[in-house]
Amino acid sequence: MEHRSKETLNALVFFALLLLFVFQFALGPDRERLAAALPGLLWLGFVLAGLLGLGRTFVLERENDCWDALLLAPGDKSAIYVGKLAVNVLLMLVVEVLLLVLFTFFFNVDLVGPLPALALVMALGTLGLAAVGTLFAAMTAQVRARELLFPVLLLPVQVPVLLATVKATEAVLLGEPLSAVAHWLKLLAAADVVYVAAGVLTFDFLLES
Amino acid sequence: MTRALGWLAVVGLVAGLVMGFAVAPREVTQGNVQRIMYVHVPSVWVAYVAFAVVFVASIVYLARRAEGADHVAHASAELGVLFTGLTIATGSIWGKPTWGAWWTWDARLTSVAVLFVMYLGYLLLRGMIDEPERAARYAAVLGVVAALNIPLVHFSVYWWRTLHQPPSLMKPGGSSMPRVIVWALLVNFAAFALVYLYFLARRVRLLRLEAEAAA
Amino acid sequence: MPDNWGFVLAAYGLAALVLFAYWRRLIRREKELSASMPGHPMSAPASRTSLE
Repeated sequence: MEHRSKETLNALVFFALLLLFVFQFALGPDRERLAAALPGLLWLGFVLAGLLGLGRTFVLERENDCWDALLLAPGDKSAIYVGKLAVNVLLMLVVEVLLLVLFTFFFNVDLVGPLPALALVMALGTLGLAAVGTLFAAMTAQVRARELLFPVLLLPVQVPVLLATVKATEAVLLGEPLSAVAHWLKLLAAADVVYVAAGVLTFDFLLES
Repeated sequence: MTRALGWLAVVGLVAGLVMGFAVAPREVTQGNVQRIMYVHVPSVWVAYVAFAVVFVASIVYLARRAEGADHVAHASAELGVLFTGLTIATGSIWGKPTWGAWWTWDARLTSVAVLFVMYLGYLLLRGMIDEPERAARYAAVLGVVAALNIPLVHFSVYWWRTLHQPPSLMKPGGSSMPRVIVWALLVNFAAFALVYLYFLARRVRLLRLEAEAAA
Repeated sequence: MPDNWGFVLAAYGLAALVLFAYWRRLIRREKELSASMPGHPMSAPASRTSLE
């Protein structure tokens, strides 16, 4: 478990760095365009990293033929979901913070001022991403074309989270108070509740033998 | 029984066409191109009904493991995608002469597009799992999650477009529509609903046959 | 405002086409399957296609 996490983390860190290059090349040297697109770019980076990292949630079990061990594990399988979810949230937060730091250095944007508010948005958004991502990772682990199916399934479901986080981040970076985007935060919170509850309640069904 | 349903659907469609072309008047602002609404709006309403059925059938399957519920969920998802696709296509055809564009990212269009992609993914998932029991189970979980997501998509997309944005130019139906138009919409909705039910019955029957053949 | 009957025709035509094509596929598949299954009431070669 630890080994997989470290492996995934290393690869994601490298991926985050590469993303920076891609954004720079795709958007060109226009500083203003970059600054305007910043909230979107940030969350694009988070989501892309999430797609890669979350998709690997059950890779160990799959590769080492431990899947059956999971199925036969006694007790409440939802605990497995919560455990995996916690690890995923942590993993993603680490990568996101790193991306934040990289953005600050390479694109010369000030992300320190709005940091507390930004942290809240990131926490809410990441939980939403990871909650569905962990569930869908289990769903696609033993399915054909899982590398294709996982993002195809995850992205449409994540639209509310993506919209809410980008809008909220936009406001926060402009220096607006959190109260201005209270409706977005409430939506994120509601989404998180729905997704985590759905995950906890339905995970068992995915792991039946 | 299904045969009667089929004929009823045909009657409904004819009635719908009559309402849409003979009874409903030429719309004041848009002209006759507005008549596309009598296909476009009932389509999306039926799509929502179809996805609601997927939601209920998925829950029933997870609770009872009744193969029938699985077939209903599968068939209804297929029909939902069909009608959603039709909604988008007819909406696009209506939008070109009215708005001047085949597509815009306004709230309604975006929501429906997300809906389309979500349930297309549902069908894709089913296609990728060979074992019928696992496919049924996994699809049921996805069916539940997708349905729960629909209100979240609606709110997020609506706020995304309308806050700090000028209101969209034209809505397919204003807040005070002439009664005739409302009636035309309702008749066409009933017709499409009958088509949906008839197709659902036949598709479920076909699924049962396919399951038997594979056994 | 011009009437754009072409667009109206396109929309209704598309809807009719899609619904008809789907219906045809359902009918065909069901006929194929029932014919290929032995002992099924519909597999008799002289069975008519009813609009059932």
